[in-house]
Order: sequence, then C-alpha cells, then structure tokens
Amino acid sequence: MLTYKDRISAIRKTKIQHTLDKLEQNGYTDLDDFGTVPLPEGYRVEPWFNSENGSFYCLDGMSENFCRVMDAHPPYVDPMELLCGRWRDMLVNYRGDLHYMPKWRKAQLKDEDLTGVTNQWSKRWDEKNFPYDHLKPLQKFYNIQTGIDGDAHLACDYSIGLGLGFGGFLEKIEKYRKINPDKADFYDAEEKCVKAIIRFIERNIEEIERLIKAEARPEIKASLEEMLEVNRSIRLAAPKTFYEACQWVAYFNIASRIYTRDGAGFQLDTLLYPYYKRDLEAGILDDEKAKFLIANLLLIDPHYYQVSGVDAEDRDLTNHLSYLILDACDQINISANITVRYHENCDKEFFRKAVYYLLKNKNAWPRFCSDKNLSEGYMRNLGVTKEIARRRIAVGCNWMCVPGIEFPMNDTVKINVAKVLEQSIKTMRQEGGRPSTERLFDIFGRHLEKAAEVTAAGINLHIDHQAEVTPELIMNLMMEDTLEKGLDISRCAKLYTVGVDGAGLAVVADSFGALEQRVEDEKALTWDEVFTCLDNNFDGVMGERIRLMLNSAPKYCGGNTPADRWAKRLTDCWVEKIKSTPMPEGRQLIPGWFSWARTIEYGSAVGATPNGRRTGEPISHGANPNPHFRNDGAVTAQSNGIAAVQCGWGNTAPLQLEFDPQIAEDENGVEIVSTLIKSHFENGGTLININVLDTEKLMEAHKDPTLHPDLVVRVTGFTAYFASLSPRFRQLVVERFLQGV
Amino acid sequence: MDKNTAIVADIQRASLHDGPGIRTTVFFKGCPLSCAWCHNPECIEKAPQTLFYPEKCIGCGLCEKGCYAGARVICGKEMTAEEIFDEILLDKASYAGGGGVTFSGGEPLLYPEILKELIALCKKEGIHTAIETSLFIYNPEILGSVDLVMADFKLWDREKHHKYIGVYNDKIKPHFIMLDLLSVPFIVRTPIIPGINDNPEEISKIRDFIKDFKNILGYELLPYHPLGESKREALGLSLNEFKIPNRAKMEELKKYADL
Repeated sequence: MLTYKDRISAIRKTKIQHTLDKLEQNGYTDLDDFGTVPLPEGYRVEPWFNSENGSFYCLDGMSENFCRVMDAHPPYVDPMELLCGRWRDMLVNYRGDLHYMPKWRKAQLKDEDLTGVTNQWSKRWDEKNFPYDHLKPLQKFYNIQTGIDGDAHLACDYSIGLGLGFGGFLEKIEKYRKINPDKADFYDAEEKCVKAIIRFIERNIEEIERLIKAEARPEIKASLEEMLEVNRSIRLAAPKTFYEACQWVAYFNIASRIYTRDGAGFQLDTLLYPYYKRDLEAGILDDEKAKFLIANLLLIDPHYYQVSGVDAEDRDLTNHLSYLILDACDQINISANITVRYHENCDKEFFRKAVYYLLKNKNAWPRFCSDKNLSEGYMRNLGVTKEIARRRIAVGCNWMCVPGIEFPMNDTVKINVAKVLEQSIKTMRQEGGRPSTERLFDIFGRHLEKAAEVTAAGINLHIDHQAEVTPELIMNLMMEDTLEKGLDISRCAKLYTVGVDGAGLAVVADSFGALEQRVEDEKALTWDEVFTCLDNNFDGVMGERIRLMLNSAPKYCGGNTPADRWAKRLTDCWVEKIKSTPMPEGRQLIPGWFSWARTIEYGSAVGATPNGRRTGEPISHGANPNPHFRNDGAVTAQSNGIAAVQCGWGNTAPLQLEFDPQIAEDENGVEIVSTLIKSHFENGGTLININVLDTEKLMEAHKDPTLHPDLVVRVTGFTAYFASLSPRFRQLVVERFLQGV
Repeated sequence: MDKNTAIVADIQRASLHDGPGIRTTVFFKGCPLSCAWCHNPECIEKAPQTLFYPEKCIGCGLCEKGCYAGARVICGKEMTAEEIFDEILLDKASYAGGGGVTFSGGEPLLYPEILKELIALCKKEGIHTAIETSLFIYNPEILGSVDLVMADFKLWDREKHHKYIGVYNDKIKPHFIMLDLLSVPFIVRTPIIPGINDNPEEISKIRDFIKDFKNILGYELLPYHPLGESKREALGLSLNEFKIPNRAKMEELKKYADL
C-alpha cells in the first residue's frame, strides 16, 4: 500500500522529469518555475488578435484569448497526487513578449510576426491608442523600466473567493450587472472568464472519472474517488473543507497564471486554518494529510505565500498549520516561495524551525521579512492604518501588498541610478567649472528629480489606461469594489501606493566614495584623469592602474567607509525625490532599492563608472554591495550596510546572502543564522533572501544543468530551478555566490 | 611605539570559527613563537610587512607610488584601542546569540595595555570577550578579565616543541595550571599536524595534563589546514609540506582527547 511518503517521492521524480522536459520544450526561461508542466503533443492555440499590430487588448481581447488558452489546456490528473490541474501556457505568449517567449512558441511564429519586434514588451501595451512617445526620450536617457504594460503586481483577497466559489462569482456578476447596466462589457468579460475556469474543472473531472475506471490499486482508487468528489463540489460551490479549499486555490492560481502570470499568494496559515481546524475536529483530516495537501498545492504553483506574522492587536499569528506548512515544504522540497514574517514576539520555536529547514534543505526557502520595519514604514503613507499595514503581506520578489485593496505596481518600475550617475557626470563636464563630488551630487539630485517626474508620468499613463489594455479580469474577482462597481482594480483600488525601485545603488555609492577618497582626499588622481579613463574605458596599463585605484577604494558595506556615507546620502536623496514627485488622485510613490534580475541588462546601458566598473559590465544586484566589498566578505558588514539604506516607507531593500553549506554542518548554524536575521531586522532591514548552496554541486550544474535538475537557487526574490536558467544567467548566480561565501 | 597603539594585521568580522556565535576577530601582529605550520605567518613579525603576489602585478612600474592591483599588500596597521573598538562595535547587534570579540594573532598578550582598554570598553557595552593565546606569555590581569580563553597546547614533547615551535614548552605547562586558578572558563586546543603530533601518545599526555582542571570547558583538536602557505610564499618564506589529516585520523584522535 502506497503511503504519503511514497507518493511524495513519486511526485518529486515526476517534477524532476518535468523540469528536464520543459528545458527541452521551452529552452532557458530565466524565470521562476511557476509549477508548470510540459505541453502535450499537438498543443496549439489560435489567438484572436483585435489589434492591427498582431496583439490583443481590452475586455474582449483578453477574455476571448483567455478562453482560447484555457480551453486548449488539457486536464492534468496524477493519481499520486490529491489535487489536480496544472498550467502550461499563458496569454502573454501571444502578445509579442519575445524575451520570455518559450522555444516552442517561437517555433510557431512565422518570420513576419517577429518583424519589428525589438524589445521584450513590444506588444503588451496598446501604443496606438495610448502612445507615450513624448516620454520615451527621457525614459531612455535614464534607463527607466517604466511599468507601462506591467500587470498582475497586486494581491488578491483570497477570502473573497473562498467564500464565494466559482458559482458565487457568477452570481455576484449577475447581481451587480443589474445594478450597473452601463458596465455590460465588463461583466460579460468577467463571466466569460469564470465560465472558462469552470469548463477547465469539468475536463479535470472527466479525466478523474476515466482514471478511476482504470485504477487497480485500492488505496489510489479511493484517493481518486475523493478527488472526484472534491472537484465536483467546488466546480460551482464555495469550498467547505481544507481539501476543497486547497483544490479551489489551485484552480484559481492556474487561471490567474494563464491570464497574466500573476504570482501573488496569500497568508497561507491563517486563511486556511479555520478549514484545517474544522476538519480536524470533524475527524476528516489529520496532520499527515494536511501536509500532503499543502505540499501538493505548492507543487502545483510556488506562489509567494506568507506565514506567521502579527495582527493589528499585536498578537502572533503563528498557528499549528504554520508548522505543518514548513513540514510540507520540507517533504516536497521544491522551489518554494514561502516568506516568514518575523516580529518581536514571534513564536521562537517556529522561527527556529524555519531557519533549520533553510539550512537542512539548502533550497533557498523560506525567506524572512520584518514586520516592524515594513509596517512602521508603510504607515507613514497617507491613509494607511496599523491594521492595513499588518495586512500588507509578502507576495512578490521584493514586494508586499495589501490583498484586495492595493494597486502597487511593485517590482515593475525601476530607475537605473547608475545611468543617472553617468548622465550627471556628463552634465558636470558640459557645464564646465571645477568638478567636485558635492557638485556632482547636486547635479545627480537634479537628474533624479527629472527621472522621477518622467517615471511618474509613465505610471500615471499606465494606471489611467491599464483597464483598456490589460484589465485584471481574473484578479478582479477577488478584489474589493471591482465587481460591485463594474470597474477594473486599476480604477477602483483604495490604495495606490506605487513602488519605484532604484537599481545600481552600490555602483553609484562606490563611485562617489572612490572619487572622494582618491581625487579629493588623497589627490592621487585628478578629475581629468578619471574623465579620460571613463571616456576610454580604462584603456591601457595606466588606465587599468587608475581603474584599480578607484575600485580598491573602501566600498559600500565596508563599514563606516566614505562609500557607506554616500550610500546613506544617496538613499536620502532618492527617497526625497521619489516622495516629493507630485501624483494625482491620491496616488503615492514609495521608494525602494531593487534591481530584480536585470543587472546585466541595466549594466549594458551604462558606460564606465568611477568605481572602476568597465563599460557595459553588470550593475550591482539589488541593495547588495559590489563584489569584494571587504576582504573578509563579512555577512554582518553586508547586513549592516543594507540595513542603513532602507528607504523607510514600507517597501524593501532586500539583503541577499549566500552561504556555503558548511554553515549547515555547524552545530550552531541555526543559532548563527537566526542571530544574523534578527540583527538585520533590529538594524532596520526589511527582507532577507538566503542561498545555502554546495559549491561543488553548483559548479557541476553550471557545466551541465541536467546533472542536477532538482537544484533550486534564489535568483533575486524568486527561486528557480538552476537547470532552467540560461548560461549567462547561471554565470551571474555563480559569480554572486562565489563572491558571497 | 606609543603604549596605546598596537599593530593589527587584520580585523575579521562575522568570524564563525574563533569562539562561540558571530564574532569579530582582531588579529594582532607579533608572536614569540614560530610554529612551522602557522596559518597566520604574517602575524609572527611585529612590524608591518609587505606580502607579494606577483600574479596580480599589472606591470605599471609605479610600485613606489602604491600598489592597487593587490600585488603588494602591506600587512600591519598601527591602531589605537578606540579605532579597534569602533570596528568591534559595528557588529554589536550580531553578538546577541552568544558572539562577541576574539583577540587573536599572533599573540595578543604582547599588547597588554591596549587589551586592557579594549576589554574595559567591551565590558561597558556588554560585549563578550575571548582571547586566543599560546600561553607562552602569562598575564593574569588580562586572562582573568576576559570571558573565555582559548589556549593552544601544541605539543607535549619538549624537544619537538623546540624544534617546530622555536621555544621549549617549560614555561607553557605551568601557565596552564596558573590559568586554571583564575576561575575563567577556557578551552584547550591542539592543531593536529600529520607526522608531528598526530599520535595517541601526544594527545593522551596533553589530555591527562588538563583533564582535572576545574575551569576547562573542553579539549578540541583542530586539523591542520594549509591556508598559511600562500601567505608564506607571499612573505618570501620557505614552504612547508604538511599534509591535511584525514577524517578517520581526526576521529581516532578525538577518542584520546575525551575529557
């Protein structure tokens, strides 16, 4: 008789095979795994383009194509699992998003479809109807990732969906359609999407029925029969049991992924706890089954889920299910994006267990965020109460969101401050007069102000028109006031606290620090010598000597270095410029430091910089220091440096740490890592991502990814199977890891 | 030299192997011993020295104006207690889980005055203090005021001690007895060097000598590692050919080190 342990083991094997198959089908994706499965043979979608540019937009375009992709999705039922359904394809694959387009889809495109496609987001925004040519020159000038055409960077309130079920969504749509007769198009589109989800469930039900007939093993047959009952129940009705709630969430997530790759989860432990408790008391659930279901849910989709934390009355939120979630992650041990929210009075045993699993499994989960620093920061924004701040949970790479009511666009908007520095140096030289770091800083501030203004203009254009380009038809189902008012969430959110991240802090801080030290204090170099080297990319032996002089100046995160002081000044300046940029209609901008995984791309847009960085080399990662920031590479130094540059308004400047597995062998490893996490948060830190990797395994996998298809790394905020990363991306992870340990 | 300064080879933050918890380790320069296997050979001489790494040289020909390529690295910086303490304070929040500061070297007891100041400053801030010493020098005031002593007992055999360490161990043995009278917890450590002290006799004799001490917390055997060799080469010193003891040997010897 197969036990849950046997079944987990079988599921893991299937997962590894899927990873290898997907590598073959998709090529390198440089992305989160998302829990997708390989495409079946002959899979094909005929998209409906409602724009002459060969893309689709708006309510009809998005809902029709959602139905086409959803309907093309075959059922997925693995008798080893308790939950069913998987996703494989998404709408963006049909909107010209070449950068992340899988290999199989590219093969389907005709040559002419690719003509004129020059960048990754080429057709996601309806530029014909909502042009922004007037913004483009400055966006390029400052290398801004605009957020225009971004989507899904918000969080659903899953309690809405769990309370209604898919049938409840249809009833709610009908109810408000009558109240808002002028919004018929909106309700038609929403209804169409919900019905497509229900059809998908029905196909899975048929597949379960088919498998039951063929199943000989009694325990698996019984399991499939239970699966069938659950699926029949939640096809329309709201979930009533823990099992049903997990299956319902799985279906919703599959739908939202297919729609816009949305990756925001929810507070997993507290939201599912009532179901768990009720079933436990009713004798229809035990801890082993609960763990298996959670593991199964995480396998279906490694959404960003938060566990633990604290409520508005300062009560710890850790419950027994929080522990089971960690155990479930441990059992399945795949790419999991679980974030533990740490607070002063958190359950110490739980926190310790979370750290223990991080070290034990070396699969980069969980991550940790600080309730205090995030909540207190977010409460500084207008309209944010303590209750709201506590509800703002970790649901993205670097970002937090209040489920159901916030429209944050987090992680979609970035300003490359290394590019701003490059432009500032040019301006200082063009203006003539005596150069100085103070003057440069002043000019940098002025450029930053302009960059913030044009960024804000882009954000406002996006918010004003997202509903007409990419309405959030799936997420709208679980947001407040959307169905009630017949409005897209981009138009009716209670909070528009929009995140703007700076990328390249360490490059800029180290540049200022090196100029101060080598040119102004030591007078070992002249400004002209530095300028010449920037122009000729540190050419020749003397250029290299100057590059090394600049690069060897004490760096950001060195500890009380000039660059550390500049990093703080730059952060103050960044925060001031972002916060003082006027926004209409109660919208607010929130500053943070984060590059996501675009350090190579951003670096390629920037010439040589005074920190000794050559033209085109990658910029620094997130809020992290540059390589070799100290000879000892002390994690405490990095932690303190990053804690000191937090922007203080509720968004993050994450600390990314890399550990050699020796730390896991150390009998005091858990205590040491726990102390590091706590001290970072005590010093003001907001979010910590930790990789514990075996160097040998990493290097082997870098050479041949198929040797270790189960190796998971935390790339930035997200985790990915190492095998799914391109050689260039793997190199980036390897370099960062080798420099970090 | 001003009595309130010391020559510091390095200050290593987030050190995980020089005592409990997360620590800042201050490596003082200068040591009365000269262990053949020393992993910090740059800490034997008290005066600042230049380490030379020719593979890093870019051939700019401007050595006299300072090397930025890492080919010529000056080891040794004169620092006051306040300057050292400023560095120690940087990681104060990380000492919470039992960590603190470790004074190491070289032989930190060559700098009693500055140690006194540093220990007082640490105590004021509630920072745990530890010292790594060979006990060739005995300073009850310093040793009695730290929270933990990690003392190396490198070799029992008197002649071998002289041959490989440069001094006899006649003074060191009584210093251990005197240390135990100070009521300060201490750990005894022996570096295991294959061919020299990787035998049960050596370890048993040391174990028998220390086993009845009242304040001893443990006896640790540390496998030799060749990290010092590249620095010996950079200092122009002759290279050693010690081997790394294998895991089985370490496990075997541990049985004789059991208190």
